[in-house]
Amino acid sequence: MLRFVGKRLWNGSLTLFALVTLTFFVMRLAPGGPFSRNRKISPEVQANIEAAFHLDEPIWQQFGRFVWGLLHLDLGPSTRFRDYSVGDIIASGLPYSLTIGAWAVLVATLVGIALGIAGAMRRNGFTDYAAGTVGVIGIAIPIFVIGPVLQVVFAVQLHWLPVGGWNDGWRSLVLPVVVLALPNIAYISRLTRASMIETMRENYVRTAVAKGIGPTRTLIGHTLEGALIPVIAYLGPATAAIITGSILIETVFALPGIGRHFVDAALNRDYPLVMGITLLYGALLILFNIVTDLLRAWIDPRLRHAR
Amino acid sequence: MKASKIAKWFAITAISLGFTATSALADDTLDRGLGSEWSSLDPQVNFDANAGWIMSDVYEGLVTFGPGGVMRPGAAESWDVSADGLTYTFHLRDGAKWSNGDPLVAQDFVNSVQRTLNPDTVSDKGYYFYSVVQVKGAAALANGETTDMSTLGVTAPDDRTLVIEMLTPAPHILEVMGAFQIPPLHTPSYEANGAGVFIDPAKVVSNGAYVIKEVVPQSYVLLERNPTYWDAANVAIPFVKYQVTEDVSTELKRYEAGEIDITYDIPANQIESLRASIPDQVFVYPIIEELYYTFNLTHDVFKDINVRKALSLAIDRELLMNKIVKSGAVATFSYAGGFDPTYDGPLIPGAELTQAEREAMAKDLMAAAGYGPDNPLKINIVTTVSDSRIKMAQGAALMWKKVLGVDATVEPMEVKAWLDSFNAGTWDVFADDLVGDFAGAESFLAYMRPSAESGYNWDKPEYDAQMDVAATKADMPSRNIELAKAEKILLDDVIFAPIAREASHHLVSPHVHGFEPSVAEYNLSQFLTLD
Repeated sequence: MLRFVGKRLWNGSLTLFALVTLTFFVMRLAPGGPFSRNRKISPEVQANIEAAFHLDEPIWQQFGRFVWGLLHLDLGPSTRFRDYSVGDIIASGLPYSLTIGAWAVLVATLVGIALGIAGAMRRNGFTDYAAGTVGVIGIAIPIFVIGPVLQVVFAVQLHWLPVGGWNDGWRSLVLPVVVLALPNIAYISRLTRASMIETMRENYVRTAVAKGIGPTRTLIGHTLEGALIPVIAYLGPATAAIITGSILIETVFALPGIGRHFVDAALNRDYPLVMGITLLYGALLILFNIVTDLLRAWIDPRLRHAR
Repeated sequence: MKASKIAKWFAITAISLGFTATSALADDTLDRGLGSEWSSLDPQVNFDANAGWIMSDVYEGLVTFGPGGVMRPGAAESWDVSADGLTYTFHLRDGAKWSNGDPLVAQDFVNSVQRTLNPDTVSDKGYYFYSVVQVKGAAALANGETTDMSTLGVTAPDDRTLVIEMLTPAPHILEVMGAFQIPPLHTPSYEANGAGVFIDPAKVVSNGAYVIKEVVPQSYVLLERNPTYWDAANVAIPFVKYQVTEDVSTELKRYEAGEIDITYDIPANQIESLRASIPDQVFVYPIIEELYYTFNLTHDVFKDINVRKALSLAIDRELLMNKIVKSGAVATFSYAGGFDPTYDGPLIPGAELTQAEREAMAKDLMAAAGYGPDNPLKINIVTTVSDSRIKMAQGAALMWKKVLGVDATVEPMEVKAWLDSFNAGTWDVFADDLVGDFAGAESFLAYMRPSAESGYNWDKPEYDAQMDVAATKADMPSRNIELAKAEKILLDDVIFAPIAREASHHLVSPHVHGFEPSVAEYNLSQFLTLD
């Protein structure tokens, strides 16, 4: 087990290094730089500003400097947000993204699995159709439509919740969590339903029923355990994507997470910030994939023995 | 990023989730939309207009700007000008204080200018002191030719007197003596804590009508009334919250829900309907930003002035701005006029005609240049990606097609690529956009000096010479007369087609009083009231 994790971590770091190397050089190919502007500042001052961020050095040296910083867990200063280092920006934005993301994952998993089970148990009944409809809506309607609609209804009309910002404690969380969870509820419920229906036809489930151990125990101990494997496989990368912050959610609900920085930093040619966020996203994605594999192995003995 | 820091943030987040329920609707707080996040709260470094609003509430310069952007005495109660116009002597208010009770002294302003110019600060704002006005010694300090601060022409002979010596007269100097350009520096707190002090509400010391109470990166900056401010008795609103409102349609909904009192912007496609439904709350007014289409003089086709003139005349500016773009930007036939009401500048040749006459003239000029239906001119327009800019370029291309048969393609680019493309010269027509440094013609005209900006490839020693003549005038009326002569040289050469003056758009809640249009966007919170 430890060897497996170690090997995955080592492979993950190699992938990560390839990712940041590629990002570093691709980013420099984009026209313009962090200090392009149409102001007449003197060439000496412009040169001084670029030198302060080492932009005057040959690109290989800049890359070396970046890697050296990385080894010391120093991502450097942001070229746009001058009061903060890239580490500061991530440290201040990540907790918000994590909070919203964690709640969204929790809600999506619980509601999604519950709807999926309900649909599978009462196939083609009312619950199944209702869950199916929610699923289709969740998948088909994009965030930038459903978000504003909920804002208009619950904030502008009813005044129950704020439209956006981070000024009202838990009330600021409700709409973003719901909107972020919705498409995932849809996927998870469809996955659970399909997988449940398939598992219910398995021999070991039929055996359990034949032994007469009761519908609840069969459901939880036998059917669900087998049916959840694809759901867990989905949850790994989905969790990484959700908790690292959704650019759309953070923009639509004016939340101070890090997702928004991803696009803005690239547009502002804030090289260090782009690198920092890419690195974080990459690392989280790899980490959650490893965790998913471990969870699947834990649930599914066949995977354990195969290794 | 340290683990302890993350843990701390988790704790803060958890606490804020559990216990706070402060409402943005609280009527002692003015909620102002800020657009994108402030890039810096360091008063000597920040160069963003929106962060400048926070700075103007928190710091007070030698002068300040009242309702409508009208200049009035700030930290200085009066000033004298020497006969040659080169030396300004500012007299500071008696008893003015910092927010920690320390007396505000003239040396604090000297320290501010010194820190701005010091290359170690890595600020581009030194520009105000060596380019917009030429303060003695400023250029050499900014360029690192000397580190001897005693060579700087900004001195404090005593605690209440500040002297600024310039190399050439600049009657517009007062326009750049506000909090954005010359905020005083509280040296003891800065020296004790470094630049991190400016974002630390517990340590930052300021002299404006407000002090910084809370900073939440990417979310908001909360300000509280400063009891030590000299005019605190006339500051009505206890708290001001500048909220990041990056997405303009979310901002509109937050306004409708009562979460924002003054918006940063209005979605362009909503201006008309909002003007119809809530006319008293819609503020759309021109600001110091000029939109003009520059012709690439290095390309052979544009070496012929007839082609440039024809393209300029064929644009129906009123139709383009009022019926196609509809962003509130105002059509114009001048480049530097309209910002300072005392400046009487020239208009482009042909401005006196009707649009039909202009179009007829444009057709003749184009034919004379050898272009026609069998030999259409093919050009590109490089513009930024915002909706209204793209609409504007598409509209202009349409008019060129209709009137002159020109095939123009629109190439939208994000801002950094657009800036880069200007220097690379990969454009026929560049959708130019210039924000002035102050509400005066000179800010725009100085920018076009061939000696200052080579990117236009405009070889015109007469223009530089005329600008040099203007620079010798120490009083505004005679300076404006010389500047108008320079603008005539510029417009007669048609190196660009001025099209419109950009507008600012805000929604202002009926609970807010005292908000007035201002070309330089000065609406300090201290002059507003809330009911």
